[in-house]
Amino acid sequence: MSATGLRITDLHARVEEKEILKGIDLVVEPGKVHALMGPNGSGKSTLAFSLTGHPKYQVTQGTVTLDGEDLLAMPADKRARAGLFLSFQYPAAIPGVKVANFLHAARQAVRPDSLPPAKFRKLLMDKMETLDMDPVFMTRYLNDGFSGGEKKRLEMLQLAVLAPKYAVLDETDSGLDVDALRAVGDAVGALRESDEGKETGFLIITHYPRILQYITADVVHIMIDGRIVKTGGPELANRVEREGYDTIREETGAIA
Amino acid sequence: MPSAVLSGRERPGRYWKIDLDTLELPTRADGGDVEISAPSARGLIACTLAQAERDHAELLARVLGKTGAQTTKFGALTAENRGLGAFVYIPADVSVDDPILITYRASAACYPYTVVLAERGARATVIERIEGAAGATVCGIVEVVTEAHADVTVATVQNLPEDARVFATRDAKPGEGAHVSWAIADLGAALVVGSADVRIEHEGANVDISALFFPRGTQHVDLITSIDHLAPNASSETVVKSAATGRGQARYLGNIRIVKDAQGSLANLRDDALLLSKTAHIDSIPALEIAANDVKAYHGATVGAIDAELLFYMESRGIAREAAERMIALGFFEPAIARFPTEILREEIREGLRAKIV
Repeated sequence: MSATGLRITDLHARVEEKEILKGIDLVVEPGKVHALMGPNGSGKSTLAFSLTGHPKYQVTQGTVTLDGEDLLAMPADKRARAGLFLSFQYPAAIPGVKVANFLHAARQAVRPDSLPPAKFRKLLMDKMETLDMDPVFMTRYLNDGFSGGEKKRLEMLQLAVLAPKYAVLDETDSGLDVDALRAVGDAVGALRESDEGKETGFLIITHYPRILQYITADVVHIMIDGRIVKTGGPELANRVEREGYDTIREETGAIA
Repeated sequence: MPSAVLSGRERPGRYWKIDLDTLELPTRADGGDVEISAPSARGLIACTLAQAERDHAELLARVLGKTGAQTTKFGALTAENRGLGAFVYIPADVSVDDPILITYRASAACYPYTVVLAERGARATVIERIEGAAGATVCGIVEVVTEAHADVTVATVQNLPEDARVFATRDAKPGEGAHVSWAIADLGAALVVGSADVRIEHEGANVDISALFFPRGTQHVDLITSIDHLAPNASSETVVKSAATGRGQARYLGNIRIVKDAQGSLANLRDDALLLSKTAHIDSIPALEIAANDVKAYHGATVGAIDAELLFYMESRGIAREAAERMIALGFFEPAIARFPTEILREEIREGLRAKIV
């Protein structure tokens, strides 16, 4: 059983020639919510892209396993099929590809033949209702001309439809108003209560603690300069809210 | 002539191996037939060219040779070998809701000539399908003349076998305040040499040209669109989406000319080319010549491979690279496909494109 979880060990990664991640150790267990907090430029998004296999990010050292499978040996699409999901901070717009067709292709790829078309449609409608999304979304082109809030809702809809084993939410809260934040919280909550998603482990990357008012984290990690410098319970997020990152930075001796 | 702005058909070079100036076509027509079907509408005529020459000579004479179509090298050949063809006449103020369908089936050498006359306030959509046998040569003309406030769309889907050759000369003259739309989908043939011209001689006309093509294997496509704004307050929009894969080659030249007297013109040209293999090549040349000072003219052109960020986004959802490329490439054509009439035709085009991306 020691192999279960999204297990990140001594992960180093670089973008172009610059080393950003300098040895990350982190284990997200099934069904748990981990928050990864840190100031801008600390390497949070680099971790998200290194895990999901973005071609611009090179892992130079360390291992990542997903329920025992070597994630780093797989191309990006296989990682998704193994059960990893990333909610993008800046999702790509793909003109000409309808949301409904994209979601169907993604669901088929990740969970082949698990739902006949009529049931898939029903699933979509249900999830969209949870997210308070207009059904007209389905006929629009993927993220094309979407507002920031609409893009994030669509990321959450994908999370709901794909019900991954592990979900990384990269700054999903950035730029969202309170209603949209609540919708994100509801989407995560609904997934965790569903049969498909009750074992989903979350890594919620955020700069600000406010998203954690809508999603309760079991564990909070603070990342500064490519390293996790502190790990604790939800109270750690409250401390960031009160004091910012500077006192933690000083206390842990991390170099700015 | 509208296409006099730039020939664009420069000599063969590193990528383009075919010299269109010296290219020879069969000297006589020896095959092909046409099937025409039209909904019933008051006074509508949709018949073969031969029947029109016999029964509607006066109407036919109002269009035949009245545009620049016969003056190009390939247009002249069509005129010389005239026989096979179709004639569509929409009388004043008649609105034809369902499309008029013209299907050419080429056997060996085929010179189809389509003529459309729309009177004042008439409205119709003509869908032309070009199909044929292996090795066929098709060299055709479409001529459209409209009176004031008419509204005519001519859509052509060419799906010839991949060893055929097709030469298509299209020329239209809209009347005052009239709307003319060319929609061109070239899916088949080894060599496609096409042009679509509109000569705006009357105020307030509104013109669309939409084209899509997708050479693969060793297919070549050469398309020139030309819009001449010779009268004031007219608008035009050109949208071209092309992709190439394998060793597919294409040249596209988009001409917009606005003369000094054509004040208040609005012209928009959008042309995007997607390269799906390292050996594919597309030359894309927007050419705007503007002599009037009170006009709005926009053009944008892109040539490139699929954006890596788009691919990664789809892959991160479990979609395999090849499937992701297919979806993105097909989506890329959608803005042009959306401009074709009828869902049946749009689906036919999508199906044709899907079959080409394997």
